[in-house]
Amino acid sequence: MSEITINSYVILSTILFVIGALGVLLRRNAIIVFMSIEMMLNAANLLFVAFSRHLGNLDGQVLVFFVITVAAAEVAVGLALIVAIFRTKKSIDIDTLNLMKG
Amino acid sequence: MNAFGLAPLLLIFPVIGVLFNGLVGRKFVEADREIGEKWTGWFGTIMAFSAFAVAVSLFFSLQANGHHAEVVHLFDWINIPSAGFHVPWAMRIDTLSVTMMLVVTGVGSLIHIYAIGYMHGDKDFSRFFAYLNLFLFFMLILVSGSSYLMLFVGWEGVGLCSFLLIGFWFSFVDKNGVWKNANAARKAFVVNRIGDFGIVLAVILTFWAFGSLEFDVVFETALEMFKSKEPLLLFGQEVAFGSVVTAITALFLLGATGKSAQIPLYVWLPDAMAGPTPVSALIHAATMVTSGIYLIVRSNTLFEMARLSVGSELLFGVISTPDLVALVGASTALLAGLIAFTQFDIKGVLAYSTVSQLGFMIAAVGMGAYVAGMFHLMMHAFFKALLFMSAGSVIHGMEHGHHHLHDHDDDDFDPQDMRTMGGLRNRMNITSVVYIIGALALAGIVPLAGFWSKDEILAHASANDGGIFTAVYVMLVIAAISTAFYMGRQLKMVFFGEPRHAAAAHAEESSNLMTYPLIALAALAIVGGLANLPHFAAEHGAEAGGFSYLALEHWLEHSLHAFELTEEHVLHMPHTPIQIQWSVAIISTILAVGSISLAFFVIYKDTSKANSAPDPLQKTPIWWTSVLPLNTLYMDYFIPAFNRMAKWVAISLDWVFWHDFVHNRLVRDMFVTFAAFTSSVLDQKGVDGIVNGVASTTRRLSGFLRQTESGYVRSYALSIFMGAVLLVIYFMFATAG
Repeated sequence: MSEITINSYVILSTILFVIGALGVLLRRNAIIVFMSIEMMLNAANLLFVAFSRHLGNLDGQVLVFFVITVAAAEVAVGLALIVAIFRTKKSIDIDTLNLMKG
Repeated sequence: MNAFGLAPLLLIFPVIGVLFNGLVGRKFVEADREIGEKWTGWFGTIMAFSAFAVAVSLFFSLQANGHHAEVVHLFDWINIPSAGFHVPWAMRIDTLSVTMMLVVTGVGSLIHIYAIGYMHGDKDFSRFFAYLNLFLFFMLILVSGSSYLMLFVGWEGVGLCSFLLIGFWFSFVDKNGVWKNANAARKAFVVNRIGDFGIVLAVILTFWAFGSLEFDVVFETALEMFKSKEPLLLFGQEVAFGSVVTAITALFLLGATGKSAQIPLYVWLPDAMAGPTPVSALIHAATMVTSGIYLIVRSNTLFEMARLSVGSELLFGVISTPDLVALVGASTALLAGLIAFTQFDIKGVLAYSTVSQLGFMIAAVGMGAYVAGMFHLMMHAFFKALLFMSAGSVIHGMEHGHHHLHDHDDDDFDPQDMRTMGGLRNRMNITSVVYIIGALALAGIVPLAGFWSKDEILAHASANDGGIFTAVYVMLVIAAISTAFYMGRQLKMVFFGEPRHAAAAHAEESSNLMTYPLIALAALAIVGGLANLPHFAAEHGAEAGGFSYLALEHWLEHSLHAFELTEEHVLHMPHTPIQIQWSVAIISTILAVGSISLAFFVIYKDTSKANSAPDPLQKTPIWWTSVLPLNTLYMDYFIPAFNRMAKWVAISLDWVFWHDFVHNRLVRDMFVTFAAFTSSVLDQKGVDGIVNGVASTTRRLSGFLRQTESGYVRSYALSIFMGAVLLVIYFMFATAG
């Protein structure tokens, strides 16, 4: 069993970020898209924490708290939006939200 | 205590009237006809009266401060220091401008009252009063401006109001399908444009030559240049001062021929009678058309300098501009007087008569008789406004009579045709009495207003030597004879004899609102001559009972620097007689009385019953010719020849050549072609092309951009990612480089 190095964290968070990004780009269910965004945020958080430990600097961990706070606010607003969308459209398929089509 | 501070109110009152009548007046009239008309009409009238009150207070202020001109500065208008071009918006209060203000607002107020009665029931009642007040505003700017540019603003403004008011009933189409009123309005506007062009050039030339447009500065500078006799430097060339001043005054003359309806631009005024009668009275008889005379009187020193500059090679080697002015005026007076013989329209006679009387004034100011010209201007304002408004009252009465008829089958009935009138004296008492007073005043019968003012002009012409003065004198005397004749003819045809049409037999007197202003003007037409009575005796030291002779002359002298400069022997104005010229007065009175009686008692003795009968002028022998061998000569040659001449003048020269060929064919068609070119080629293809081109290019480009907006959240997210990736790549290379 090899030792867990900083590289492992970088690879893990990259995988998580790519899964999140693909989820945002490819899925049509708004809840899934939303979860994917959360996943990308947490991939970034993981990387922050890993580097903070690796470099012996607490700045990264402080920043994570900010990210979590913002993400919590975003969840509150985002879920409210999804509920509002569902009420008007009877669906949370984001492809139905194409009123801005030029 | 003086009231010069009140001067701006002179302009503010009419503006309030315009705003009230123009913006909310219509609502009042639509809400309630009766009350609305009362409100809007009287509001406009009260504004005119308030302006009159201001003018009166300015009059007394000038009396109190020894007649010194006062310039009331309102604000700076144009200020270009690099060019030395500075035009303040200022009012010049002096005896001349106050005289004009009093005439404009005084006669104007009476006409406002009359118009309340005359326009009763018109659907655009409030619009009419808004225009009338707007006219007063611009006319007051014209006469009170302290510079040529302000004068020009007023000049154009009154032209606009004239256009609006001639075409007041612009939707009227006559039975031939011609837009008569709208055409008349356009004609007046376009013809006046030619004259205005002259004014613009004169104003520009004045600025180039004298470096200012302020009256004071212009006259001062011109006088210094005149004294020094040094040539001016214009466009890098030396030009004699005489040439410059001759050019400026000649261009002013061109402007005056337009606005004051002189040969060759008088053609618009007879057509202008298409407007409502109060307009004919106010604008096309009493005030606006006199602005050409005002312009020349205002520029009196320039004209007097031009008089002494004969031979300056620029324009006229043989004749100075004032002489040209006098000749133009006198020939207009004569020609229009002759044309008036052939008119059957009651307002047509008065229109040509106005042209003729304006000719008298222009001739007077051309001869240097500025005071006599202004005197005649005032008197003419009284009696011609009176005549026009009485004619309006007659037309009203005739229309009234026509409405009362049970058979409405003759649609061709024209309430203005004198051939359908006759005997109206018995139906319309007040109107006929005031009309006769006005007509006698116009004909120059002692002691009515017109006698004194006309006599002063004739006396001035006869008191000076020189071919020009003699020619002008002869022409004006003949014009005066024709004036008396056509007024006698008109009186007989309209008010005496038997009614020639059922409408005339049922005509009714107009309302008090219309007749009271007529009575006031009739009073002015009777006593107006007191304003400038000449001395009757050679020793004129004593003034009888505190009455001052030549009051107007003493009053206006303060504004006419030419008088002062003549006394200093700088200028040489023609001699102005201050004592009555008995020979001239007696001859002109005899001729006027003779001519009016000739028309009234001899040629139109038996007015025919049928309205289609030929004019008696063509067939009636004069009583004494039956005992003279001249009878045949007179009957066979003179009368036909005279008729042919009058007809030729009226039809060939005036109508066919001048109206149709020169004005319609040359001026109008050229103008229309040019306008069509600018509208269809320049405007639609050129300007619109550029504008539409910009719009369609933008549209096409935006079509491309539009396609990027798919409306899918995913594609926006993708572009955000792409952006992020690009940024990352950029930073990688930026840090690497």
